[in-house]
Amino acid sequence: MASGSSYHTVAASGTSTVVPRPQGSSWASIVSGQPSRPRIPSSTSTGLRTQRNGSYANLSEIGSQSGRYYNTALSNAFNTQSKLSRLPVSLPSYLEDSLYAEKLDAVRDSSWGSSIPSRTPSYTSVGLHAAQSRGTGLKLDVKDTVPSPDDDLPTPLPTKWNENDRSGGIEVSQDGLDVQFPATGPSKVNEYDSASVRADYFIPRSCGVYYYEVAIMNKSREGLISIGFCGADVQLNRLPGWEPNSWGYHGDDGKSFCCSGMGKAYGPQFNSKDVIGCGINFRTHTAFFTRNGQMLGTAFRDIPNDKKLFPAVGMKKPGEHIRVNFGQEEFSFDIDGYMKAERKSALQEISDSQVESLCPPLDEAALIQSLISSYLQHDGFVETAKAFAQDLQAEQNALSDNGKSKPVELMEDENAIHRQNIRTAILDGDIDKALELTHKYYPDVLTKNEQINFRIRCRKFIEMMRQSAEASNGRKKDPVSKRRAFDAYEDEDVDMDGGDNRSDMDLDEPTPVTGPAVPDLDMLGRVLDYGRQLQEDFKDKPDLQEEMEQVFSLFAYSDPMTSPMAHLLSEDGRGPVAEALNSAILVSLGKSSKAPLERLVQQTTVLLRELGEEGGPASFVNLHHWIHNLEFLPSS
Amino acid sequence: MSATVSTPTGIMPSSRDWEKKVDDVRPSKSDMNTIVMNYLIIGGYPSAAMKFAQEAGLQSQIDLTSIEKRNQICTSIHHGDIKTAIECINDFEPELLEMHPRLHFALLRLQLIELIRRSMADNDIEPALTFAQDYLAPRAPQYPEFLKDLEHTMALLCFPPDQLSPPLAKLLDPDMRKQVATMVNQTILESQEVFSEAKIKSLVKLRAWVEAKAAQSESDRLRSIPHMDLGLVSPKGEFPEPNK
Repeated sequence: MASGSSYHTVAASGTSTVVPRPQGSSWASIVSGQPSRPRIPSSTSTGLRTQRNGSYANLSEIGSQSGRYYNTALSNAFNTQSKLSRLPVSLPSYLEDSLYAEKLDAVRDSSWGSSIPSRTPSYTSVGLHAAQSRGTGLKLDVKDTVPSPDDDLPTPLPTKWNENDRSGGIEVSQDGLDVQFPATGPSKVNEYDSASVRADYFIPRSCGVYYYEVAIMNKSREGLISIGFCGADVQLNRLPGWEPNSWGYHGDDGKSFCCSGMGKAYGPQFNSKDVIGCGINFRTHTAFFTRNGQMLGTAFRDIPNDKKLFPAVGMKKPGEHIRVNFGQEEFSFDIDGYMKAERKSALQEISDSQVESLCPPLDEAALIQSLISSYLQHDGFVETAKAFAQDLQAEQNALSDNGKSKPVELMEDENAIHRQNIRTAILDGDIDKALELTHKYYPDVLTKNEQINFRIRCRKFIEMMRQSAEASNGRKKDPVSKRRAFDAYEDEDVDMDGGDNRSDMDLDEPTPVTGPAVPDLDMLGRVLDYGRQLQEDFKDKPDLQEEMEQVFSLFAYSDPMTSPMAHLLSEDGRGPVAEALNSAILVSLGKSSKAPLERLVQQTTVLLRELGEEGGPASFVNLHHWIHNLEFLPSS
Repeated sequence: MSATVSTPTGIMPSSRDWEKKVDDVRPSKSDMNTIVMNYLIIGGYPSAAMKFAQEAGLQSQIDLTSIEKRNQICTSIHHGDIKTAIECINDFEPELLEMHPRLHFALLRLQLIELIRRSMADNDIEPALTFAQDYLAPRAPQYPEFLKDLEHTMALLCFPPDQLSPPLAKLLDPDMRKQVATMVNQTILESQEVFSEAKIKSLVKLRAWVEAKAAQSESDRLRSIPHMDLGLVSPKGEFPEPNK
């Protein structure tokens, strides 16, 4: 029965330590006895991009293997015990465009460096729990480790059979890939008992589809081997498929067993050297098997999506021996092709979705144009923003007959608009409006920035002084000086169109005076009241006293406009105040000051990750890959 | 026991938690710029694409000729000058219309619509009739839908412009030009083996889809996700710009 290679001799002798395969001999050669084929590392059908040696890579390996993914600061922060080190170093190619891959990349991204260390201590692995019940064939009371709601770390992929989560009757090789039923079993507990083993980690649903293969190295006459998957709590002295929460394809009769002792005719029986593949599709909630690269069709339906499932194999007769390929080797079935077809169906559903409800009343085209234009403005691509606005207007003009075109109407970045309105109000001397808007949209800014609060209140006092002086002099304000103040701040990133509006308006009419004309004394009285209040509010701040006294000295002159302190009243003083407040708002917004397009990407990422945890179509989307690749949604 | 993956027990994340999750995602600037550049190229905005290539340092990625040509063609269509558009297409992609009879027919029909529009103003239906007989009628038997479209279009001639039924009035809407221009743009892109849907378009669909999907989910956690605002507002909103 043994193929005659030294490897099989060792394995058949019943030793649990299996000599590692020599490097370079391929999976296919072990199974078929054929000379090894050269690996094709860059082909899409190869199992892995990077060879994995069966054990977990430690972080020094991670650091050296791929500079694209990892940064050294991150790797220094952890030891090999951390959860991060359990994550796969490389992925089988069929998973490269999955949400799982995107999550994996995201953890490796340096921005996660600060948040990971605080999370790791709380992690407990399934493996550790299972270790407590080592060697028993009895029902394991494995405590599931559900990722806490705040834990966005992806879970590891199955990498090997779990030596500590097996039935006593079978043995797992040192590299964790071979399982065999010893020909001369040490203690066969019960003739009716079978022996099963689970993989080390459960299957993450964010893979979309999970697939692994098992080579039948040796079988008994009956060939009672079961390949499948099961929950963490399923008894291991039964074959996969026979128990609730357990599914398996049996080699002795070719039947599929779905949580029941009654099988259904499904596929051929197993032969030695067969390669049996097992795939779970979390989008369609089905499972399928393959034999020697051939699809055998759907075996199970309605697989529940709230259970953690582990790859599992079981056997019943002495001499039986299998070896697993969890993706560390090339698969004999074209799982990449299967995955591609699945992705297409998943993405079709997405591409059929309607976007009108996202940001009413914008339709798709207007929404996209608004997103682009607000991004250009937010990120300071001033020239592009102008050119884009012109291109859009040109399109609009061409479409409308007889040249009576209406202006393009887009929505804009909320924050930009608010900030712009506040700045415009200050530049217009309407400090009350600026204060009102600031309190409304950025309530923290003024309480947290006393200096700025003080400067705005001072400006308010000055503006009141100005009005009072203007009213008593009956003097018109000088449009030229006002114009200057605007020009100085017109090159800001916020808005191009607004700049024009402002200038037009400014040239046409004087600053609006709040309230109707009132008798001088009345007005002066209100200025005085405001000044007193100002002094009251800031009297405890020694560093502000000098400035305050300077401002109050305006009271000393019957005509402040011609006084030695007249420069304080100049409209030029509005610009710096507006700028200071604008900067304070930007600081207070911090990282949340993102362009709508960026927010859209952020929100989509978060929602996809949440949704993909269930394994639906979302798990087929790797947003980051898509942005850099051409293909995404099928064209209609 | 087995726990559920989708609905872990415990407290649901609050709005603030979701906000934090969103803030914690850091899309790279190069991702963002790629999305924008891709849109400007595919949408055919030549001056914006050129400026953006300069400002974002993406010079190497753009083929300005294609953008300009497509823009020129689409602009002609938007203007209703289909004759020029067809000439431009034949100049730029000589085999395109031959290989895409449906597109060719759509352009010719649009040209007919423009002629009918003019004939309504001039009270002379002769040019429209001649054009329909010479160019559209011979092609109509090719596909059944051509015949239907042609009949539908000719019906425009039978009614006074102010008494058109909504489906007929739609033919005279500028939106019709926009649709055909989009079709032409896409077909040219595909013939140049460029993926014709802008990434941002897919992205917006994806964003709408994930939200709808989460709202329909069986999982309480997913259903509890609050609506996330994009932060886009109308500039003519609550605090309007001072009027001129």
